[in-house]
Amino acid sequence: MQNVIETQGLCKTYGNHFAVQQLDLAVPEGCVYGFIGPNGAGKSTTMKMLLGLIAPSAGKVLLLGKEMNPRNRLALLRQTGSLIESPSGYGHLTGQENLEIVAGLKGVDHREIDRVLEVVHLTDARHRKLRQYSLGMRQRLGIAQALLGSPKLLILDEPTNGLDPAGIQEMRSLIGEMPARCGTTVLISSHLLGEMEQLVQQVGILNQGKLLFQGPLAQLQQHSRGDVLLRLLYPQRGLQWMADNGIRCRRENDTLVLPPMEEDALAQLVQALAARGAGVVGVATRTRSLEEIFLRLTEGKEVA
Amino acid sequence: MLRCCIAAENRKLRRALIWAVFLLLPLLAGVYGTVNYLQNLEILTPGWYNLWTQHTLFYSLFFFAPMTALYTAYLWRLEHLGHNWNLIMTVPVPRFDLYLGKFLVAWKMVLLTQLWVFALFVLFGKLWVGLPGWPPAEILFWAVRGTLGGAAVIALHLVISMLIRSFAAPILLALAGGVLGAYFANENLGLFWPYALMMSGMNSNRAEDLLDGRMGPFLLACLVWTLLAFAAGWLLLNRRDVRSE
Repeated sequence: MQNVIETQGLCKTYGNHFAVQQLDLAVPEGCVYGFIGPNGAGKSTTMKMLLGLIAPSAGKVLLLGKEMNPRNRLALLRQTGSLIESPSGYGHLTGQENLEIVAGLKGVDHREIDRVLEVVHLTDARHRKLRQYSLGMRQRLGIAQALLGSPKLLILDEPTNGLDPAGIQEMRSLIGEMPARCGTTVLISSHLLGEMEQLVQQVGILNQGKLLFQGPLAQLQQHSRGDVLLRLLYPQRGLQWMADNGIRCRRENDTLVLPPMEEDALAQLVQALAARGAGVVGVATRTRSLEEIFLRLTEGKEVA
Repeated sequence: MLRCCIAAENRKLRRALIWAVFLLLPLLAGVYGTVNYLQNLEILTPGWYNLWTQHTLFYSLFFFAPMTALYTAYLWRLEHLGHNWNLIMTVPVPRFDLYLGKFLVAWKMVLLTQLWVFALFVLFGKLWVGLPGWPPAEILFWAVRGTLGGAAVIALHLVISMLIRSFAAPILLALAGGVLGAYFANENLGLFWPYALMMSGMNSNRAEDLLDGRMGPFLLACLVWTLLAFAAGWLLLNRRDVRSE
C-alpha cells in the first residue's frame, strides 16, 4: 500500500528549540490516522509543514508520492483539504458566502457547496452569518471547506476541539466514514487518545517533537495487557512458592501482583499454587486503558 | 487564478463596514471644501478650478492617504482575524496572486473613491455654489490620475498591513505620510515620497496643472514605487512562515 503522507527526517527548530525532531511519518492510503500528543508536542507544526505553511528546517515531506516543494505545491494542495488550528472564515459573511469564497479559490463548481453543507448538516444554517455560529457549527463549516473539491487527503487539526459530546460523536462518525465513502485518507490530530480509539486504524504518538510510537492501533492495544492480581487465603505460602520458582512478584495485603503473562502460563501457575495449598480465591488481570499507555509513553516511561 | 482571487476579495467586501467610510469621508471633505470656497470668495477667482483647490486641500491632506490605507488594512484584517491565513495559504493559488488580487480590488476602491469625490465636486458646484457650465474635463483627469499615485501607496500599504497586525497603526502612518507629502510636494521632492504622488497626481490645491510637462517622471515614480512594494510583498509571502495568530 502506498503512503499518502510520508516525512523523512522532518525537523523544525526555533532558535535552539526543536519543535519537531527527526520525524518519519508514514500514513497509508485509505486509513484514518490518529496523530496524538499532548498540547505543544508539535502536531500543528508538523501539519503546517505538511501543507507548506511553514518551511521545514530539515528533512522532507511527500504527499501522494510527490515532494511538497514550491513546484509541486499547488498541484498537491488541489488534492488536499485541511483544517488547521481553528476553523477559518469571515464573520460578516454567511456560511454559504464563506463556502463560495473557498470554492472560488479552489476552482470547484459551486454546486459542490450544497453537497458539503449536506454532509456537515449546515444546510439550514447556510444563510446565517458566521459570527452567529456556535463553535461546533464553525468547526463543521471548517470541515465543509476542507471537503470542497473531494480531496484525496484530509488534514484535520483537533477538529473536535470545543465540541460537546454529541458534536464529538457526530464529527467522529463523519470522519470515520470518509475513507469508505470517498476513498479519502484522513490525518487527524488530538491530544486525547481515548477520543480517537473508535475512529482511527493507525496511530502516531508525538511528544516533545519526537515520534514515540507509530503503527496500527491494534499493535498499541497489545500493550494494554496489564499486571495479574492473585488473591490468596495464605499469601505467605504463595510468596514462598514464587520465591522457590524464581518468579518475581509483589505482595499487597492478601494479593500478589505479577507482571503480565500469557494465559497458558497463568493457568499453570494458578494450578500449582492451589496444589501448594495457597488457597487461590481470585484471579484478575489489570487492563491498562489506552489513555494510561499514552501517558506512560509521553511521560517517558517504558511500556511494559 | 488571479481572476479567482479578485472574485474572492470582492466577495469578502460584501456588507463590509468600510463602504460607510467610503461614502462619508469624501462627503465631509466636499462639504468642508465648498464652505471654504464660499467663505474665501474675496481672495479666490471664482470658478471650477478654484472650487477644486478647496475641495482637494483638506481631502488630499487628511483623507486620501488614510482612506487608501484603510482599504488595504481592512483587506488584510479579514485574514489576520479568524485564522484565515491558514485558509488562504492552503488554497491552490499562487501566493502572490492573493496579494495582486488585493491590490487590484483596493485600487478599484480608490478609483471609485476618486470618482465619488469628483461627483460630489460637480454636485456641490452646480447645486450649492451654482457655478455656470460644467467643470473642465481636465479636472476629471486629475481625479483619476491621483489613483496612479494611489497605486504606489496601495502596494506599499499592502506590505505594511500584511506585516503589522494592528488595524489603526498603518492608517496613522498614512495620515503622517499624507501630511508630510504636502511638504515633499512643496519642496519639489514629491517623486521620492509615494504619499506625495497621490497629491500631485490629483493636482490638489492647485488651479494650474502641477505636472504639466512632468508626466514622464511622475509615471515612472509611480511605477518604481509600486514595483518595489510588489517585490517586497512577493518575497515576504514566499519566504516567510505563515503565522495565523
